[in-house]
Amino acid sequence: MAETRRASAGPTTYVLRVLVIAYLALLVAWPVVLVGTNAFANGTQAMVDVLADPDTVHALQLSAIAAVVATVINTVFGVTISMLLVRKEFPGKRVLSALIDLPLSVSPIVVGLALMLVYGGRNGWLGPTVEDWGLQVVFATPGIVLATAFVSLPLVIREVVPVLHELGTEQEQAAQSLGASGWQTFWRITLPSIKWAVIYGVVLTLARSLGEFGAVKVVSGNVLGETRTATLAVEERYLNFDQEGAYALAFLLASVSVLAILVVFVLRARGTRHRAFERQS
Amino acid sequence: MSIDVSGVNKRYGEFVALQDINLTLPTGQLTALLGPSGGGKTTLLRIIAGLETADSGSVVIEGVEATRLPVQKRNVGFVFQHYAAFKHLSVARNVAFGLEIRKKPKDEIRAKVDELLRLVHLDAFADRLPSQLSGGQRQRMALARALAIEPSVLLLDEPFGALDAKVRKELRDWLRRLHDEVHVTTVFVTHDQEEALEVADEIVVVNEGRVEQVGSPDQLYDAPANEFVMGFLGEVTVLGGVRLRPHDVEMTTAPVPGALEGRVVRALRVGFEVRVTVDVAGQDAPVTVVMTRTHARSLGLEPGTAVWLAPAEGATAVASATPAARPAPEAVAG
Ligand SMILES: Nc1ncnc2c1ncn2[C@@H]1O[C@H](COP(=O)(O)OP(=O)(O)O)[C@@H](O)[C@H]1O
Ligand SMILES: [Mg+2]
Repeated sequence: MAETRRASAGPTTYVLRVLVIAYLALLVAWPVVLVGTNAFANGTQAMVDVLADPDTVHALQLSAIAAVVATVINTVFGVTISMLLVRKEFPGKRVLSALIDLPLSVSPIVVGLALMLVYGGRNGWLGPTVEDWGLQVVFATPGIVLATAFVSLPLVIREVVPVLHELGTEQEQAAQSLGASGWQTFWRITLPSIKWAVIYGVVLTLARSLGEFGAVKVVSGNVLGETRTATLAVEERYLNFDQEGAYALAFLLASVSVLAILVVFVLRARGTRHRAFERQS
Repeated sequence: MSIDVSGVNKRYGEFVALQDINLTLPTGQLTALLGPSGGGKTTLLRIIAGLETADSGSVVIEGVEATRLPVQKRNVGFVFQHYAAFKHLSVARNVAFGLEIRKKPKDEIRAKVDELLRLVHLDAFADRLPSQLSGGQRQRMALARALAIEPSVLLLDEPFGALDAKVRKELRDWLRRLHDEVHVTTVFVTHDQEEALEVADEIVVVNEGRVEQVGSPDQLYDAPANEFVMGFLGEVTVLGGVRLRPHDVEMTTAPVPGALEGRVVRALRVGFEVRVTVDVAGQDAPVTVVMTRTHARSLGLEPGTAVWLAPAEGATAVASATPAARPAPEAVAG
């Protein structure tokens, strides 16, 4: 394959290739590398300082908790919604399918404001009621989780839906003809078949959730040592002229994302090889 | 009676897929549902299995009213055209699936799986994944998987349809032998009349959502109920308003009482037989006659030779509904 492509590569291909590489380098790679070099401009001192600050550590923990909880929620709901969308017929299915893309297209800050309208403690639509039950949503961890989950909602679904389509229903029907209940069919046949898609979805959701800024900024209240997440801490340090600290923290966040992308890359390569092998015979 | 289908109707929107199907299949037989593509065979099979529900009518399996039973409770083995192998499970785990669901003891499962894998000649492949098997092997695995639950009936939807001709033929003979060994009531769908005639004890001809005829291969071949069945089971030609098989037309080069006179248009040799096209006076469509090469040579046929045609004694024939003056589709195709 690679050979045929190389053979047909004309000058236009080369120009295009250089353009794409330059574009990616200027837009993505170079800035990210600069974050790294700035973080370590004075050796590891900035990193040590950042990690020694209890409020920053708290922010990192809060981000991790919010990301993990949001990912768990979005995985369970994402797989459920995907099964509904692909396997069931119901009125409003197209609308639901379109709605699921909304979090990707709406600015996170709008998401944050919308959540305030619903869960705002004083004059939100649902907020006062929920607060009467003793649950504070806005300016607390639940609100941060909610905002994070909203923003990363489509990622699992968008990975799983096409794989479910491709899988078809024959294996599930075979399992049922062999006596498996709907639940047994899901656990023993469907879930193992969509395993890789779910894993990609989880990794992407986790990365996206860790990096969430806009929506969280609105609903968290950004209280130091309480509701300030890692991304908010980066901004805070940056605005307070602690550039080195900001870059050190940013570097930490970026490395997690890069790691996540690496994981997806490796998994995807494995998955492709796996699938190609299956098609062979 | 093992399978009793009565008054089954099924529509997809406005489209009538099955129309008042009544069918009784005795225990222990190998039955073929035969018919052209789109005739409703799969739909009927899936309704028997419980993978599809009929709009009306009932299905009784081994004396148990099954119409409202979900597929899990019907205890049928179903084999899909494209195998439906569980891709993430080894061959042995595929076969064990139904037994694991039934929570059988581990050693019992292992013994049963070993036995079945030997039966389908896959004992050497127990630990492979389905992706490491050929199509024919995958289908044998699917068959073992269906047999593992000791089904009351075994239903196969075009089981060899996705395989190449040679494997297809092997597996078809093998299915016949397997059935003689296992004796489970079996229904298989096919659109290949040769497959049905060769393998089945009984054939159900299904066309446009209706059952055209039920009978043994001999009954169907020798006494087709109508033009459709006759045409579907083999080549047909029309001679003097009678539809019959091209090899059932007797040809002479001298006048014979009762025979129709015609002229040879061409004689085409196909392997060991010769197909002769004859123009018969007063008939638009030419008659196709098939004979052995030896016979053709002894007649000394050339284009233009005058010949006399008559149905052979004991020939299967159906009076043609279409007037002899109009070409019958089969005759043209032949
Ligand atoms: N789920 C479905 N929705 C709509 N039409 C269907 C469906 N399943 C089958 N049909 C139609 O019913 C007819 C019979 O189909 P099928 O039973 O698969 O025929 P066969 O197996 O004999 O080829 C076909 O015309 C097919 O298009
Ligand atoms: Mg079919």
